[in-house]
Amino acid sequence: MKLYYFSEMPHHEFPDEEGAKYPSLRLDFPNRFFSPEKARANYQRYLDEYEFADRAGFDGLMINEHHSTPSCVNVSVNMTAGILARTTTRAKLLILGNILPIEDNPVRMAEQLAMADLISGGRVLSGFVRGTGVETWWANSNPVHNRERFEECHDLILKAWTTPGPFRWEGRHYHFRHVNPWCVPLQKPHPPIWIPGTASPETAVWAGRRGYTYVPFLVPFDVARELFDYYRQGAAEVGRPAGPDDFGFLICAVTADTKARALEAGRHFVWRMGPTLRGPVEYFSPVGMRSRAGTQFAMRARPRSLATMSYDELLDGHYIIAGTPDEVIDRFAHVRRELGIGHLLLEAQESRMDHPTTMRSIELMGAKVIPAMATG
Amino acid sequence: MRPREQTISVGGIDVHAWTGGQGEPLMVLHGAGGNRGWTRWVEQVAQRFTVWAPTHPGFGRSGDAPWMESIDDLARFYLWFIDAAGLGRPHVLGHSIGGWVAAELATMSPRSIDRLVLVAPGGLKPERGEILDIFYHPPAELRTLSVHDPATIPEWDELFGRAPTAAELETAVRNQEMTARLTWKPYMHNPRLARFLPRVTNPALIVWGREDRVVPLDCGEQYRRLLGNATLSVLEKCGHLPPIEQPDTFARLVIDFLRGPIRP
Repeated sequence: MKLYYFSEMPHHEFPDEEGAKYPSLRLDFPNRFFSPEKARANYQRYLDEYEFADRAGFDGLMINEHHSTPSCVNVSVNMTAGILARTTTRAKLLILGNILPIEDNPVRMAEQLAMADLISGGRVLSGFVRGTGVETWWANSNPVHNRERFEECHDLILKAWTTPGPFRWEGRHYHFRHVNPWCVPLQKPHPPIWIPGTASPETAVWAGRRGYTYVPFLVPFDVARELFDYYRQGAAEVGRPAGPDDFGFLICAVTADTKARALEAGRHFVWRMGPTLRGPVEYFSPVGMRSRAGTQFAMRARPRSLATMSYDELLDGHYIIAGTPDEVIDRFAHVRRELGIGHLLLEAQESRMDHPTTMRSIELMGAKVIPAMATG
Repeated sequence: MRPREQTISVGGIDVHAWTGGQGEPLMVLHGAGGNRGWTRWVEQVAQRFTVWAPTHPGFGRSGDAPWMESIDDLARFYLWFIDAAGLGRPHVLGHSIGGWVAAELATMSPRSIDRLVLVAPGGLKPERGEILDIFYHPPAELRTLSVHDPATIPEWDELFGRAPTAAELETAVRNQEMTARLTWKPYMHNPRLARFLPRVTNPALIVWGREDRVVPLDCGEQYRRLLGNATLSVLEKCGHLPPIEQPDTFARLVIDFLRGPIRP
């Protein structure tokens, strides 16, 4: 099983009581609480940690993008991918991902991803996501068009990567007279595509039909298994067998020299389960963004919000894994057995987890956990 | 006279409509909350006019129109509806986004309609203040923001007094989705509408609640200035829903205007 290092690049640099005064840390919390001086140092630190994860032996470095929130100030996955393409040498660059529905120029996105793929020597894994409602508000993109734009943006990017130009694109949401990018990916026919999921059966079926790697984020095992079944259903429709390499899973994880230290560090993940997800449902799922089937599945699939769980419950549910390297190996193996996955994505830094703790965790993962998980 | 419900097919879409009353035709275009049917003010106006109250495509019991992109699409559609339903040259009354539809429709073909009643319509960007973002607020909060004082609303219990059924919730979501489809960006206004409004010289009545927290009264003043022949009537202690907040006063205003003399 392959392991991926991931940091949301948080900006938890404000008094929590200030954030609590607003309906949500997303959209509402004023950016006067953003500290450029702290961010300047943090960006360097987070990139150092990614680069160390590359040297330590992680199979991939996962990066993501959010907007208008202190929970993640990585505001451009492609910019970060461009940096890491140059400063790392071996790990895959898992961009998970570009938020297609809010993108107005898929051709530019196709070019940027191609450039990152070229600079990295063909290490890009190109994730495409629909984004949360927060990103839809941020971009002022009509939520009722979210799925249509996701699919059309995807189709245009793939065509730009694989069909010699120039050609014209006149779709429903995208219109380009001349598509002829002078920058196409190194990987052929194109970089592998990854799709995350939390609640949409349609997305799982769609990814299965296309043979994309599918990764549920922080859901109970039974929900993940159900989503994987939808994926298999899509794969079966096109006569394609689905195996472990098609499936990934994202959890939060940290290791340390002692169990006590690891458990102390793991508490930082609680911030991303509760305070950063607090807010009216309209912020996260504006009207029309989710299909009826998706809504029904979500109602059924996640009866309990992560925000209502205690730290111990989050540990018991494997949303967070924190322990010595041997304990972490045991728990990762359990996740692999339960889900039959080939890729485990580790959100490995959060909130105010400090640099030495993060670096030691990366080091121990590289020295002990990654080799142990490499087989099987 | 008891209203009846019917379905009129226009451009392949089955449009549900309430009709009833007597007299000249009056087409009533509802707001984002959906078609509330034969409420108290409609009952009164229907004593003097034949009311046609269609449900917008994508709302309530009307068919879907996922291809529509904007309020002008809906306005063009209602010009077609007027022909299809054989309304001749009806008076048109629209509330909130229905008022915006009525204003767009009037600019497209002023001679297709008789008099115009615009009730707190969207469509224009306020010069002062902002149109409330109705998609940003939970439903209960939005209802509070929409009215001045629920205690004074005679039909409050009938309209909002009980928990909605599952089917009603589904309809509410569908109504919201279609509203988002039509009004998301630019939010609740058409930057070009002001350029076309002077074409409309039909007698027009604009009705606004002094305490409207959804669409600022400033927009009502703009409509009055831009339309060629309009009066603005402002209701005191009234929010964004004059037809249900002050149904008797509202019905009287509408009847008096539609039956009144044409201003020179």
